[in-house]
Amino acid sequence: MLEQQTLELINAEIDGALRADERAQLDAILESSAEARAMKAELQKLANLMDSMPEQTPPEELTEQILARVRLPKRHPTFSLGALMSSLQPAQVGLAFAAGLLVTMGVYELSPGQLADVDPASVVGTMVLNPDVQNVNQADSLTISEPGVAGTVTLSAAGKLQVLSFDLQSADTAEISISLSEAGLSFGGIARVAASGLAADGSYEVSGGTLRVINQGHQAFSVFLLEAGVDAGGREISIGISTHGAPVFSGVLRG
Amino acid sequence: MVESRDFALVERCRRGDRQAFEALIREYQRPVYNVACRILGNPDDAADATQAAFLKAFENLDRYDPDYKFFSWIYRIAINESINLRKRTRELRLLDENQPAAGAGPDSTVEAGDLAHSIQDGLMALTDDYRTVLVLRHFSDLSYRQISEVLGISEKTVKSRLYSARQLMRDQLIANGIEL
Repeated sequence: MLEQQTLELINAEIDGALRADERAQLDAILESSAEARAMKAELQKLANLMDSMPEQTPPEELTEQILARVRLPKRHPTFSLGALMSSLQPAQVGLAFAAGLLVTMGVYELSPGQLADVDPASVVGTMVLNPDVQNVNQADSLTISEPGVAGTVTLSAAGKLQVLSFDLQSADTAEISISLSEAGLSFGGIARVAASGLAADGSYEVSGGTLRVINQGHQAFSVFLLEAGVDAGGREISIGISTHGAPVFSGVLRG
Repeated sequence: MVESRDFALVERCRRGDRQAFEALIREYQRPVYNVACRILGNPDDAADATQAAFLKAFENLDRYDPDYKFFSWIYRIAINESINLRKRTRELRLLDENQPAAGAGPDSTVEAGDLAHSIQDGLMALTDDYRTVLVLRHFSDLSYRQISEVLGISEKTVKSRLYSARQLMRDQLIANGIEL
């Protein structure tokens, strides 16, 4: 009958969890006990048999069956700028945005490929890619260099439109909060111009006068802000970034 | 980075993003299904338990604690669903003693091969606690620490259960004429 400690050492050996001193102890036991050697061989073979059992393949229809039954929370409305532009002429897009018709919350996918097909001068979002040609005045900027989060945020003005351009790299999931109402602004839309890592579709929310955006990996996107009331001047927009609920950065942009 | 990716996908699910939900299912349905298969010994029941686990997980996304890995959370739910399903089917069998036991015949076991059959039968003869820890170690290839996270028990308890479970499996296979 083997001692409990011997069995524990044998099992730890099978799991590759033996310390050096335990290994020496087990080696000594194995050398002197045929029963221990037999037990180790049997348990090792059992472990190998179980490890080598083939993986089972789930039924092909399982994913669809789960999807058919799940009830997700109601999603915020989202729009594709690509789809929008295919149904509107470029000039109409620009007019619609300027008129505030796109104030409905939405994520506007804006890829360089799409932009090649339209007149940049007529789409407000293109100022993100090339601000110099859009008669956009840069008002202020922030440089972020915190553990896990780095990049820039730029505030620009184009007439009554304020544009916050983010170019951020975050190792972990970061939540960016932007205070809108206290700056006299309302949310107009988001245009993402570059992304790697997480594609953050739907990872935004506007509530209580604050816009929250979930960011991860490298993401460049612009937030379009509309003046909610009379431009009082001396505008201040507070930006906060947190990861896993803990604040890592806060700053103010003045325009 | 898997953890942060999963966390981001969970965040998107909470906002009603169906694609994120589908991504999580596609990532984890195979390992979850395999755990369920080994605990239940029956592919049909395993599919039901997998489905129930994902539905329960997504109904309770608000309770998901991002300090824990998503896979630990979904594994734990799947194990509980599997054990509960096994209890229910046992109770039903007691009501109808003529019905064959799940996992008892070659058609209802996971593999048809004799050795594979014997191993699955050996698993099914263990208590839920012992079977679960063996499945997580040898069929899901989890470490002591990962098993402790999934089951919410200490690593010391994981080792103790695992070592006892192996011993019982070994005794049972030898008693059934399997040469080790």
